Amino acid sequence: MTAPLVNLTIEGRPVSVPAGTSILEAAKTAGVLIPHYCYHPGLPVAGVCRMCLVDVEKAPKLMPSCATAVAEGQVVHVHNDKSLEARKGVLELLLINHPLDCPICDQSGECELQDYTFQEGRQDSRYREPKRFNPVEDFGGDVLYVPNRCILCTRCVRFMDDVHKDAVLAVGERGDRAVITTAPDAGLTQPWASNVVDLCPVGALLSKDFLNKARAWELDRSASVCTGCSQGCNIVVETRDNAVVRLKPRANEAVNAFFMCDEGRLNYRWLNRQDRCAVPMANGAPAEWSTAIAAAVGALNGKRAHVVANASLSNEVFFLLKRIVGKTGGSVKFDVPQGAEAALPGVEDLALRADRVANATGAEAFGAARTEQPYAGVSAGDVLVLVDVEPSAVPSTALNAASAVIFIGTADPSGLSKLTAAFPIANVVESDGTLTNLRGRVQRFLQAKAAPGQARPAWFALADLLIALGEKADYATASDIFAALATSTPAFDGMSFDSLGLKGTPLAGSMAGAGR
Amino acid sequence: MSAHGTTPYTQVFTGKRKNDLDAILLRYPNKQAALLPALWIVQEVHGWVSEEGMTEVAAALGLTAAYVKGVVTFYTMYHQHPVGKYFVQICTTSPCLCAGADKVTEAFLKHTGCNELGVTSPDGKYTVIEVECLGACGFATPVQINADTVENVTADKVQQILAGLK
Repeated sequence: MTAPLVNLTIEGRPVSVPAGTSILEAAKTAGVLIPHYCYHPGLPVAGVCRMCLVDVEKAPKLMPSCATAVAEGQVVHVHNDKSLEARKGVLELLLINHPLDCPICDQSGECELQDYTFQEGRQDSRYREPKRFNPVEDFGGDVLYVPNRCILCTRCVRFMDDVHKDAVLAVGERGDRAVITTAPDAGLTQPWASNVVDLCPVGALLSKDFLNKARAWELDRSASVCTGCSQGCNIVVETRDNAVVRLKPRANEAVNAFFMCDEGRLNYRWLNRQDRCAVPMANGAPAEWSTAIAAAVGALNGKRAHVVANASLSNEVFFLLKRIVGKTGGSVKFDVPQGAEAALPGVEDLALRADRVANATGAEAFGAARTEQPYAGVSAGDVLVLVDVEPSAVPSTALNAASAVIFIGTADPSGLSKLTAAFPIANVVESDGTLTNLRGRVQRFLQAKAAPGQARPAWFALADLLIALGEKADYATASDIFAALATSTPAFDGMSFDSLGLKGTPLAGSMAGAGR
Repeated sequence: MSAHGTTPYTQVFTGKRKNDLDAILLRYPNKQAALLPALWIVQEVHGWVSEEGMTEVAAALGLTAAYVKGVVTFYTMYHQHPVGKYFVQICTTSPCLCAGADKVTEAFLKHTGCNELGVTSPDGKYTVIEVECLGACGFATPVQINADTVENVTADKVQQILAGLK
């Protein structure tokens, strides 16, 4: 059941939205951003900041657009003198006790107080008295509270109350002394608590991990998908000088709403690891790519491939691995590390999943077998093909049984015995591709940084190997491979990088997105 | 009265006080509404509302401890730190100030040994604060000591008043 449409005019633009929509959301559809602080689409409406006041014709006074539903024939003025004057007043009051320490504030450059003051605020303050001061507080977990910068929008309080369902935050004190306070003996140590840092529109709640690390405007941002577990939360990878410095959630109503868990958020340092496999190797020594591929083909000649792959690799990689074992015989196996599950109670079907890999669903769609013992059953003479696994995790029994070892990965493989060929590959933030989450939603990740040395995307290396094995695999991009796998795999039928967009599409017959 | 926070927290809502709370709960449509009187009971027993006290009240009323802390910190009459046995509140609003409330305050600070507003005297007996209008402007300066109000206080009566506190 969809609600009937209501027609109104916002800033002179005709808008039709379902009944019950707020003026603020309706304005977004007309391309008008009404300034706001306390409103957030993922949280209950509070109406406390008074920043989103707009002039609605025939209404006796200015209306808070976040808490006012649209009505037929309404005429809304967002930027007329009356509403601009009101918001200018709100901003002046918010800045009375704000330290204006933007030069040393982590939020600077991505601060809504800064942005709206620049857009609509007064040029100066008429307040000459000393400002209120409160010391910085450690809220536990990854969160630091700087009360002087706080504008008391209560987004953090509402997130912990209504979304995390562990109400450890409240507004304490009153009037100009009011601050956010934690419950006795409690802090923000819950598995999803760090989302309050993203929700905070100003620099009051900061990530300790990111503290003083980079300025917002120095960061390069790429759309990606978290590989921490099988949920597949949409994220933004933020890099600086070719290093990942921060992960942030990217809104996707069908997967993670506006949130990501702390474990996924803080687990990014491995993406910058320095002990990488950076040059191809043939028979234990550095070599040209062509020599390494030739060595691999020589080893595979007439032998079965026992492939053990990391199940966070992309659909494209598993598609190509399927073709490789189709040619050589053998099988693709993967194991799934387990961890404690941690749900975000306020959002349906959103959790840090027990399966701590990103693409087990995709791997199985391309015939890879999930097993707790991926190295079991390496028959004498098999070629052990390791795809992005940790060399130290490979049991010596498997190495001893194999006739040769081909390593395709990111970690330094030099300790492996029988290493016939090693292909350095790009990790998830250094290449393009798609992942399939536990509900069967296929989602793209985009390259965020450059791969080290001679490393190539895994799909590139595998396509070269296929060609060297005598197969047709003239793929120029990850998108080409996806087009090929979509044509040959019924569940992916009709999909393309274009059709996936940045929010993904469910597999045919899967339940992805059915929940919300 | 455990006034100094060094002693371990003792439960407030047991025995008779539990019954008192139950009787209070009957006066309200829901448990949350009994928050202020419940906090008063805690303050009566312990002299102040500690974080343990907030947690106990929260559990008794089915609220979150964070919410209770928000309420305790909102109201100035709940003490968040131990105070002296005698809590002295001196009205220093305009009419009382004209009648010499500043001198009264000085005298109290001197004779109680507190020396500073809001600080408890070394013997743990007194805490002196200034308050806004106590509603007794015709009898300036009024001083409220715990639940009792003394009217027409002048600086020279302070020692006598303190001597009367036993």
